[in-house]
Amino acid sequence: MSETTIPGPATRGGRASAALWLGAALTGLFVAAVLLSLVWTPYPVADLDMAGRLRAPSAAHWFGTDHFGRDVLSMILVGARNSLAVAVVAAGVGLLVGVPLGLLAAAKGGLTDELVMRSNDLIFAFPSLLLAIMITAVAGPGAINAVIAIGVFNIPVFARVARGAALSLWTRDYVLAARVAGKGKGLISLQHILPNIANLLIVQGAIQFSMGVLAEAALSYVGLGAQPPTPSWGRMLNEAQTLIGFAPWLAIFPGVAIVLSVLGLNLLGDGLRDLFDPKLDRSR
Amino acid sequence: MGAARSELGNRFRTLLAGLAILLAWLVLASAAQARDTLRLAMPLEPPNLDPTAGAAAAIDEVVYGNVFEGLVRIGPTGRVEPALAESWEVSPDGRIYVFHLRRGVRFQDGSPFDAGVVKFSLDRARAKDSANAQKAYFEPIERVEVVDPLTVRLVLRHAASSLIYVLGWGDAVMVSPKSAADNAAHPVGTGPFRFARWRRGDSIELVRNPAYWGPQPRLNAVVFRFIPDPTAAYAAIKAGNIDAYPNFPAPENLAELRRDPRFRVVVGATEGETILALNNAKPPFDNLLVRRALAHAIDRKAIIDGAMFGYGQPIGSHFPPQNPDYVDLTGLYPHDVARAKALLAQAGYPNGFAATLKLPPPSYARRSGEIIAAQLAQAGVRVTIENLEWAQWLDQVLKNKNFDMTVVSHTEPMDYDIYGRDYYFGYRSAAFDALLDRLNQAVDAPTRSLLLKAIQRKIAEDSVNVFLFEFPKLNVWDAHLRGLWRDSPVQANVVAEAWFDEPGSTAPAEAPRVAQSSAWAAPVALAGVAALMLLAFVRLGATYVGGRLLALTLTFLAATVVVFLLIQVTPGDPAAYMMGLNASPEAVAALRTQMGLDGSLPQRYFDWIAGLARGDFGVSYTYRVPVGQLIAERVAVSLPLALMALALAVAVAFPIGVFAARRRGRAADTVTMGVTQVFMAMPNFWFAMLLVLVFAVGLRWLPAGGFPGWDAGAWPALKALVLPALALALPQAAILARVLRSALIDTLDEDYVRTARAKGLTEGQVVYRHALRNALIPTLTIVGLQFPFLLAGAVIVENVFFLPGLGRLVFQAITQRDLIVVQSVVVLLVFAVVVVNFLVDLGYAAIDPRLRRRSA
Repeated sequence: MSETTIPGPATRGGRASAALWLGAALTGLFVAAVLLSLVWTPYPVADLDMAGRLRAPSAAHWFGTDHFGRDVLSMILVGARNSLAVAVVAAGVGLLVGVPLGLLAAAKGGLTDELVMRSNDLIFAFPSLLLAIMITAVAGPGAINAVIAIGVFNIPVFARVARGAALSLWTRDYVLAARVAGKGKGLISLQHILPNIANLLIVQGAIQFSMGVLAEAALSYVGLGAQPPTPSWGRMLNEAQTLIGFAPWLAIFPGVAIVLSVLGLNLLGDGLRDLFDPKLDRSR
Repeated sequence: MGAARSELGNRFRTLLAGLAILLAWLVLASAAQARDTLRLAMPLEPPNLDPTAGAAAAIDEVVYGNVFEGLVRIGPTGRVEPALAESWEVSPDGRIYVFHLRRGVRFQDGSPFDAGVVKFSLDRARAKDSANAQKAYFEPIERVEVVDPLTVRLVLRHAASSLIYVLGWGDAVMVSPKSAADNAAHPVGTGPFRFARWRRGDSIELVRNPAYWGPQPRLNAVVFRFIPDPTAAYAAIKAGNIDAYPNFPAPENLAELRRDPRFRVVVGATEGETILALNNAKPPFDNLLVRRALAHAIDRKAIIDGAMFGYGQPIGSHFPPQNPDYVDLTGLYPHDVARAKALLAQAGYPNGFAATLKLPPPSYARRSGEIIAAQLAQAGVRVTIENLEWAQWLDQVLKNKNFDMTVVSHTEPMDYDIYGRDYYFGYRSAAFDALLDRLNQAVDAPTRSLLLKAIQRKIAEDSVNVFLFEFPKLNVWDAHLRGLWRDSPVQANVVAEAWFDEPGSTAPAEAPRVAQSSAWAAPVALAGVAALMLLAFVRLGATYVGGRLLALTLTFLAATVVVFLLIQVTPGDPAAYMMGLNASPEAVAALRTQMGLDGSLPQRYFDWIAGLARGDFGVSYTYRVPVGQLIAERVAVSLPLALMALALAVAVAFPIGVFAARRRGRAADTVTMGVTQVFMAMPNFWFAMLLVLVFAVGLRWLPAGGFPGWDAGAWPALKALVLPALALALPQAAILARVLRSALIDTLDEDYVRTARAKGLTEGQVVYRHALRNALIPTLTIVGLQFPFLLAGAVIVENVFFLPGLGRLVFQAITQRDLIVVQSVVVLLVFAVVVVNFLVDLGYAAIDPRLRRRSA
């Protein structure tokens, strides 16, 4: 949930790198799990079976069963839905609110710019996870409030990226030409600036998406995400904690699911950045 | 450049100072705990220590029978026994009680105990403005008369056969007029142990009272440690950090503990009826057929197996099975889904209905709730689960009766009378009230027994709630520990007769206090900041620095407003939380006024800000000590942790970053960067769990959680921080390594580096003498920015390891609605972030004059 853009490996040239392919594959797996869970899971996740609880991984239950006898693989598949939905919507909130704010700040400058950027500073001044916990504590736990808590921090990230990129474009010749032609600032932002910063926004979107998955897991872990019986990866880890000594599979598989999806999204973001603009890789 | 270097030097000095202190502690090895000290763990920390002004069970669990005593006490088997009254007589009509007091009893502060004290204590408990949580039970008392210094007479308005029992509760203990007002933080009673100290968030220590009127306890001291987290509890027991956990919170781990010869696992009984409570005042639960249908839909065995791992006795009414007057009513509504469906159809719900199930935090409730939801679904009842914190539960369920169903354990002894009150589950029955009245008038035992049985039947027949199981008392004791109570007839941990049947060892060594370290580091940090400011003024001019300062102040002030407003809209009443489950509304209102929660919004904001400016953070609602003190205690854990994590992150990141940069584009670089990607993708709490699995559960090298405190010795304290620091550090190290690598690659392309190479320097010299120095600047910026987040961002990791640090303090304060603590800590952290950002800005501007022009 921080805005720091992490430089990727030194893949040179604007071509699809191995990172991009791996990232796309892992992300594809993540999305496929979500889609699959909509039509089929090995077992229904709502079924409890006290007689068959805490079974180690086997041919019948690939990832074992939990303390209520539920199939862990099925829960991970269904849990992916929740992670995906929260992270995508939170990134969307940031994009839809943050980008217009950033464009506005770049176009107007002066007091508007100052106001937008200082409100951004204000949000950045809060330890993000702590504020997210406070927000969900105020509004009550649940997936929707988790989206809001995470989305709030995405707003300044997108605003900053959009403003920075837009500022440099406002000095370009074609923008100047549009101004001379009498186009308004809003129209220029929409027609000339936005299309040219879209690549950057897509890259940032992938990064915020991955951070959203992590943040959702953290909120669920402390019980502030999606509520039971909806399976969620973070809560599965929380519930696994006291059982870790004799049922380690309960702690391992949901964690691996989180790592793979976040890793995939990060690699995808890095790969896309290299693809769009190889120079960006070395800019920080 | 100069500014950056001085900022850097300042950081290093702070870091070095911290390390030096840690090393000093290292030298002072911890000594073994004496065997005349009992370390007893409990799941919840009491909000305060005054049993006459709060209903939280945790208060009694520390002080009942240890610090405080009443006229009578409830003994280990649940019988009323003499305590400060040697004997008593009751008039035949049950309206007059005469107590004969013990001679020569003194309070721990030396003040005498006599009939005047009894009158004071009882009059205080039943006074109009009394904050006593069980005030209603004292209602039958018309007046308390001092006959002579050792004789007291109670005159009742009407017979109340349960009064003698109530006088044995913690709410009726004797308090001295001299010290009564301070009992919340410094309890003074007549008991065998006196209060020694309270490390908030961690433990309370009692020591033997040498002037005790009764037989001297065999223990010298008792330390009550608070370990709510089941994992941490298990780890602490296994590591030998605690001698007894009388209400062990993780039934899943008992099988393993039974196999360990160092412990004894004894399953006793509590007075806790665990029920699925139904809102009888609200349709469809006002319909007896529906309530009976729900009872048939529930399979108690599956719940006891799934939620309690088989521990717990099924019950069919609101009455404990170990009581001699118990009637087994579990067969009244056998598990029968078809029957449940038929009853629902008969009640007019052939397709079932939708309802919410609000669950409080304990794992028995959360787990039972999930199983209940699945079971009710089979009968056609569609359940939505809502997990609540205690504060929200008290507010929504108990106070405002805004719920359909909930799961909770009613732990008070003999609490069947709640069915005759205007209680949260909304049951009203004239027939039941009549039974209760007759019971209160009944003085002879056979009549009482008959009536108690009739009451159980009435509750079960009306199927008021669905009765699940009697909560077991899961005792885990050191194999040598003797004399603790097996059952919980009252909510108490009476340790007066506890002892170890093996010889004691040496006394623990005294270690230096933590406060010294902060005193040490603060001036160093301040001097560094001042030097940087001075330099900035000289190099950048007053306009620039002034402008930045103004922006900083405005950001900070805006943040205080945001925090304050956010806190104000937080639902849940802190006063209600503090008073606990059975508190009367008047008592809660009295406390609200006491806490100053009645003022207007702007007034409270300005009071708070004015206080902040003076360095006064206010007084914690729950602990009733200055917030500044709480924060200082927690910083003593969080700061070393953050420093350790930062040092580790830097130590790991630098070699990796340099290694990768020097081999950029090659396989080694790709593999290293791939590994850092994996660490960045790892949630730190999951990484923490893996570390616990390997190093604590598997190898048993390091403790899995908890913090022994710095005065337990440096080594145990440091050991407790190793895994949390690793969990925090490695994901940060991955980020840092990538930043460093990328910065190094940039500088390696610069002209001066090429010149250095052309000059014939070796590649090592080029990297370390030229490139690395310049790559340090962006890297150290990230280090600086990480620090405040390490301090606060450890919230979750502190929760995994159960460390009493800043993050945990806020988290706990949020759930306890200790709003003033939340406000202060969040604002403090915001302050840290803003200041670090400011310093980084100044550093940059000092290096790169171009930045000045744009921002000024």
